[in-house]
Amino acid sequence: MKAFIFKPENCDLCRKCEEACVAVCGPANKQSAEYVPHIRVFQSPEGPYIRLCRHCEEPPCVDACIGESLQVGPNGLVIQDEERCIGCFMCNMVCPHGAMKTVMSQEKAFKCTLMCGTKTTPTCVLACDRGALFFEEVSQHNKKIRRAKLKEIPRK
Amino acid sequence: MKAYGRQHLIIGNCIAAVSAAEVLRRQNQDDRITIMGDEEVPSYSRCLITYYLGDMVTRTHLLSHDEKWYRDRSIELHLSTKALSVDPKNHTVIAEQNGKKKKFSYDKLLVATGSSPIFLKSFPYDPDGVIGMRNYRDAATLKRWAQKGKKAIIIGAGFVGLKTAYGLAKQGVKAKVVELLPTVLGRMTDIEASRRIIERLTSHELIEIELNNSVVATRKQRQKYVVTYQDGREEDADFVVASVGVKPCTDFLDGTGAEIKWTIKVNERQETTVPDIYAAGDVCVSPHILSKEWIYNAIWPVAAAQGRVAAYNMSGDSSITYAGNLPMNSVDFFELWITAIGNVQADQAENGGIETIKFQSPRIYQKVLLKQGVPIAFMAVGNVDGAGLVRGAIVAGMPWKDFIKKPQAKVLPIVKEVI
Repeated sequence: MKAFIFKPENCDLCRKCEEACVAVCGPANKQSAEYVPHIRVFQSPEGPYIRLCRHCEEPPCVDACIGESLQVGPNGLVIQDEERCIGCFMCNMVCPHGAMKTVMSQEKAFKCTLMCGTKTTPTCVLACDRGALFFEEVSQHNKKIRRAKLKEIPRK
Repeated sequence: MKAYGRQHLIIGNCIAAVSAAEVLRRQNQDDRITIMGDEEVPSYSRCLITYYLGDMVTRTHLLSHDEKWYRDRSIELHLSTKALSVDPKNHTVIAEQNGKKKKFSYDKLLVATGSSPIFLKSFPYDPDGVIGMRNYRDAATLKRWAQKGKKAIIIGAGFVGLKTAYGLAKQGVKAKVVELLPTVLGRMTDIEASRRIIERLTSHELIEIELNNSVVATRKQRQKYVVTYQDGREEDADFVVASVGVKPCTDFLDGTGAEIKWTIKVNERQETTVPDIYAAGDVCVSPHILSKEWIYNAIWPVAAAQGRVAAYNMSGDSSITYAGNLPMNSVDFFELWITAIGNVQADQAENGGIETIKFQSPRIYQKVLLKQGVPIAFMAVGNVDGAGLVRGAIVAGMPWKDFIKKPQAKVLPIVKEVI
């Protein structure tokens, strides 16, 4: 299984990942001037951080989705049927990563469905030349750490 | 060689049932799965019926699980089939189907019948004008009534009541909501949040909300329904919607010996007190994830998770248990979002010990309740972005002072603006 890895120490907020994301995934719902990329980089006194779907193994957002818009896809990715979203923001209420994009003007929530670079590397990762964003196979060892970390964020 | 695996029978056809069926099929290809639902349509999201009423979703959108869905998973589906009784000794269920009695047998039985609206003597059920709002048929009926009716009285300003009023207003029907409590949305709000929600809802000319009042009698007069309020005033409407609460549908379990105290008692494996009978969803209790107390938390995410846990255990994997959840909900009315997690009214309790942090601006109201420095509840109105981050902290028992140091926490106005 592959996962996003963010190294804040290498990020200088150049926002190339955001631009690349909009360029590829944007047009589908670009009607709104408020269109925001699926990956969002923020600055804080504690350093940069990203808001992006981690495609959890047991996604709480899928359980919470009353519109049955969010689903676990055949490859384990958390996918979304944007048409089915009714904008209740239950997903936003349960996502421990704060990854859901709540777009009030469209009364919908959006997320990364990894539609861009599923075959090899997501477009945001390709765009990052600072060495801050990776999409890598999680080794068994790393997977254990990741599992342990995920356990710290109880879900459901 | 045995031709089949186990026979799983699921009574009920909403999210707990379909999420269970999905897991049952994934766990074992040979098991037989039968679902019986008392409605005439296949599974759909009951949470969407008020959206359907207000034409915010179409019928095709609402009815998400077509018959192909069941076929693809080799699930035998019986619609318009209502369970009448269960015989745990012989492992059979008697149900009524098209006016005839039919016997179903099971190895493992899942009760996922959900709940139905409560009617009181002061507003008894009347198929011609006093109904609840719980299923597709109710929504379709209200939609039909909305074509000719001009005014509705909704008893109860809870989640369903307000969403029904919202849906009716979108259909051009004047919706009057009467609520006994001084706030709307029951336990989801406080006075200030309630005020903001009422302000937004009543900005629509067709919605009126009256608090601190209740209905003491309802009578039919010519083609109208007249309700009498506790202060003696009378008001008439074309129809009345009762939304004062729900009652778990457990009647057919009488005589099985299952422990039912209003709700079905289950353990963390969703087993009832009767062998081979499981329960999931609004029909049973669930644990509070922090206190581990068994509470009635009738929300979609709990039903989905309980259905899955029941299915694992029904297929023999007893290692999967349900950890529980918090009472929570999220909704919007005319683009005003409200998200509430945990008991947001805990600060109103007498015994105290609760510290409250608030952020208020004309557009946003956020509140977090701390007990010994650890967040126990969170409410956001107007801006709910990143609410799940706080939920994560609540569930993990992370002290607020540590949480606000997390870079991600800065997206919340209550963290950014309150020092």
